[in-house]
Amino acid sequence: MSRAAAPRRSPAEAALSIGVLLLGVATAVGTAMLPSEGGYARIGPNFMPGVTGAGLILLGVWLLYEVLSGGWRNMPPQDAEARGEHAFHPLAFAWVSVGLFAHMALIQSGGFVLAGAMLFACVARGFGSPRFARDLAIGFTIALAVFAFFVLVLTVNLPAGWLAPLFRLAGIE
Amino acid sequence: MGATLHALMHGFEIALLPMNLLWGAIGVTLGTAVGVLPGVGPALTVAMLLPLTVKLSPVGALIMFAGIYYGAMFGGSTTTILLNTPGESASIATALEGNKMAKRGRAGPALATSAIGSFVAGTIATLLVTLLAPLVVEVALKFGPAEYFALMVFAFTTVSAVLGASTVRGLTSLFVGLLLGLVGIDSQTGQPRFAFGVPELLDGVDVVVLAVGLFAVGEALYVGAYSSRIPEVMDKITGSLWMSKSDWKRSWPAWLRATAIGFPFGSIPAGGAEIPTFLSYAVEKKLSKYPEEFGHGAIEGVAGPEAANNASVTGALVPLLTLGIPTSATAAILLAAFQNYGIQPGPMLFQMQPDLVWGLIASLYVGNVMLLILNLPMIGIWVKVLTIPQPLLYGGILVFATLGAYSLHQSVVDLATLYVFGLLGFAMRRWDIPVAPAVIGLILGPLAETQFRRALSISQGDPSVFYQHPISATLFAFTALLIVVPWVVRRVKRARAAPR
Repeated sequence: MSRAAAPRRSPAEAALSIGVLLLGVATAVGTAMLPSEGGYARIGPNFMPGVTGAGLILLGVWLLYEVLSGGWRNMPPQDAEARGEHAFHPLAFAWVSVGLFAHMALIQSGGFVLAGAMLFACVARGFGSPRFARDLAIGFTIALAVFAFFVLVLTVNLPAGWLAPLFRLAGIE
Repeated sequence: MGATLHALMHGFEIALLPMNLLWGAIGVTLGTAVGVLPGVGPALTVAMLLPLTVKLSPVGALIMFAGIYYGAMFGGSTTTILLNTPGESASIATALEGNKMAKRGRAGPALATSAIGSFVAGTIATLLVTLLAPLVVEVALKFGPAEYFALMVFAFTTVSAVLGASTVRGLTSLFVGLLLGLVGIDSQTGQPRFAFGVPELLDGVDVVVLAVGLFAVGEALYVGAYSSRIPEVMDKITGSLWMSKSDWKRSWPAWLRATAIGFPFGSIPAGGAEIPTFLSYAVEKKLSKYPEEFGHGAIEGVAGPEAANNASVTGALVPLLTLGIPTSATAAILLAAFQNYGIQPGPMLFQMQPDLVWGLIASLYVGNVMLLILNLPMIGIWVKVLTIPQPLLYGGILVFATLGAYSLHQSVVDLATLYVFGLLGFAMRRWDIPVAPAVIGLILGPLAETQFRRALSISQGDPSVFYQHPISATLFAFTALLIVVPWVVRRVKRARAAPR
């Protein structure tokens, strides 16, 4: 109770509240474009979207009201140290994101194994591992094992990509 | 009663087939191995291992899933006790005493009482599921669309508005889930909704992508950004692994009491194992002959919450199997697994596919035994898994998370969606918005809409069906009470606490 009473400002809470509100408005706009005829039930495919949009708008307003009256209720401490954590580390966040984007870009062309190795190494880098080449090798081994298991045991195809000729030589196809 | 016994015996014939036993054993082992990883809770474990079952028969796959579910829970307790990092809210109560015991060199007995307690609670709860499920099915067969809709609204309310730190944040999560559930083709009229002309979105948002995005990608972004630079401390297992005579004497009443607390919470669609675990913790603290030990590693404080967690999770199978209503994120993913096989759980399932249902229930008994005999002796290996350095651990988690999302439709769109859900999961984790309501809203929303429109079709658009049917009226009244009573209680308390 005491935490909620302390006045504080949180731009993030305000932004998220407005985000929920805007999501509700967007849903309502999308709903308006849906047909409403509903046969015997007298409600059509636009009814639930309408309810959901209205709900999100209401919740957005409610969240915003909490922001303006002292911040969201019952929140964990704002201060990272009080939560047992350190301050936001932008590089870690960026490396994990880069890994996921590299994976998306590589999986169709380079194949599952190379994309997985790249993802693994980027994420490890984001978590503070200094040895990129070693991580790449570990990631490659793990992804190769998964690939072989899926193709040989489960007979589920994953993209082989640039390494396809090598896999064919090794009998993994 | 006799019919139930007969059906269960038949179920055992199926569960004890060598191949099914093997799937169960693989499930328990994999579930533990993945569940023990820090930051990986049971919901994520089940979601990540879903692709492994694509080529299995439905019965084999579900038996393997039951094993994964149990294994993941046990693995999670191990991590909680040794690392003090509860992978899910239901493990927080365990961490209170469990980690203190580990710090005092009593990790062995803490792990043992958690494993044996889970076994005892799981077995009793499975027995109760066996007895209760056919009765619920009898009642559920009389349910029409109006009753189902009322029940789903009740479940929505309990999982989002009643539990957790904030009603408005729980409801926000639920409505985001409901919105995601609307994406795709409307099952009643074939009308595409919120698909923006993207063909991949016409099939709707997959629960696995949402769960893996929120739990794995969101968690990796969060841990990377906020705690990847903090060195981890793990408590070593020193001293005896086994429980002493006094440990046994203090544990078993706690197991039984916790089962009695946990099972009802799971089996009425009240969602979440969090409340029963804390209730059990409070009860044990009150009844213990050694209250001074609480806060410094009291064994009852581990035995109770762990058993309550298991009993509640098993109890949650009653609404899942008999009504098709999931009350936790993990149950929602299990429901998605059912749907992948074209199976819709509900009372009809017991009549149309008794082999599958009773095979699954029987395999729960088997899974519990397997968990005990496979896992306790292998504790040393699971502890080794915990020593994987964080960078490699999260690298591996994301390789498997992307695999789970990609292998659904072999589509890059799913990977992009996964990242978006990862950002959402990061924000929800950082600003304390619960994720389970979103997962449940996504899978239960479309079902609720279907029942709602069916009920109105039958009544020719007359909304009075919802309050003229006694069962649905009662359920709506309960739902209203659930919202109003806590609010009134809080007001009264505040008024009393205010200085006069």
